Amino acid sequence: MRQPDVYAVASKDIVFESFDGDAVVLDLSTGKYFGFSDSGSGVWQALSSGVSAAALAETGAIASAELATFIARLLEFGLLAPADTAPNPLPGDLISQLAAAREPLSVDVHDDLADLIVVDPIHEVDEPLGWPAVKQAN
Amino acid sequence: MPRVTLETLPDYARYLIGAAESAAAAFPVTRKSRLPRLDITTHLSPGTLADALCHGFVEARDDEAATVGCRIFVAHPGIADMPMPAQWGDAHYTEHGFATRLAEAGLRGHFYHDLDFWQVYDPQRRVGVQLMTTADAFPPWEPAAPLRPFLHWEYAARGMRLTHAGTLGLEGKGILLAGSGGAGKSGTVAAGLLNGLDSVGDDYVLVDLERGVSARPLFSTLKQDPQGFARLGLKQRLTGHGPLNWQGKYTFHIADIAPRQVPARLDIIALMVPHISGGKASSIAPASRRDAMLALAPSGIMQMPGERESGFRLFGDLTRLLPCYRLSLGSDPEEIAGTVSNFLARGIS
Repeated sequence: MRQPDVYAVASKDIVFESFDGDAVVLDLSTGKYFGFSDSGSGVWQALSSGVSAAALAETGAIASAELATFIARLLEFGLLAPADTAPNPLPGDLISQLAAAREPLSVDVHDDLADLIVVDPIHEVDEPLGWPAVKQAN
Repeated sequence: MPRVTLETLPDYARYLIGAAESAAAAFPVTRKSRLPRLDITTHLSPGTLADALCHGFVEARDDEAATVGCRIFVAHPGIADMPMPAQWGDAHYTEHGFATRLAEAGLRGHFYHDLDFWQVYDPQRRVGVQLMTTADAFPPWEPAAPLRPFLHWEYAARGMRLTHAGTLGLEGKGILLAGSGGAGKSGTVAAGLLNGLDSVGDDYVLVDLERGVSARPLFSTLKQDPQGFARLGLKQRLTGHGPLNWQGKYTFHIADIAPRQVPARLDIIALMVPHISGGKASSIAPASRRDAMLALAPSGIMQMPGERESGFRLFGDLTRLLPCYRLSLGSDPEEIAGTVSNFLARGIS
């Protein structure tokens, strides 16, 4: 039974690093970067490690509606996906980090260098066999 | 015309490497280049790329660490039985999917659609092939940074990294200047060189994190847009300059303006994010590591084929190892150089 408010990193192509508590996330498949505010970094760190949204809301550091909107953005960006696992407890240091946060929940997308998907004009090919086109023995 | 798909990609890469090795004796030119911890033997035809290999690198010297050798074949039909380059046969092409498929097979590679231009590399055997339709059918950026993807793959396999950053140094200590095009990296590097500072490059340098952060030179080419070229006085100084390059910039060599021989390495003491302030005076102020990482990593990862996660991790480690600053650039090149020089002098003392 899926826990309705537990999430996990959406795929192995989503990688992240933390700098003095600030998270930077890269989607390897698209080349898009995501920079988080201090409160956003705390929420990302919690959700990506399996802490439930309900546990975050219970801290009182973040309004529920604001948290729901933020999670919806993370889902829309393909950074998080719903998980079927039981929630992990919220670490004490994250509670402190969220309480001390000064910036509103936000995530910025940096996609000016992201990949373009190149569509090959394959329609011009009569036999899109690829290479090498192995001949079948008669 | 054969077509390559993700499924057949590793076989095609191995086929190209085998074909080039079989044709080794037929390549008319062999160039040997000595780079940090790497000796490259390149087999190719005469022409622009062969010339670029003669003067496009800063040759390594006094390298203390073990050096390995690699072989690169710059090939095209007409050299023995080298085939015409294949075209891409899948409906979609993504750089990441292409690189991942090859990496799963222990290979590296890149494909530039517009020219059917292939670059494949076997990091285990240290053999690579660049296959073009003709001897001069290469992208316009190749001569300024020859063999760049091969260097990227070889160094990444050894935990080092071609890094998209400028550098300035003083007495062996230096700073990395990170930011995307137009941030002011090249102008700052040229201003520093013209006013007595050292540099190991203004665009791509070799970084490793062994015993702290260090940067080494690879490519000798510097570039400036016409406005910067004039502002820095290079139009008068480099009277024999060539035409504008494909980016509309003048290119020249670091030795043309460096005050002394290019250092073999700089020990990096800070990561700086330059920006053109519009004010008269330059200044240096602390920056968050998050912002520095976002200035450093994207272009360094996206302008290189493959090795995205290893690059992200290495740039993350680099950013955590260094103090990070925002460098607001004034309008006077000498004043900019003085600001950086004073910073470096304080770091050395």
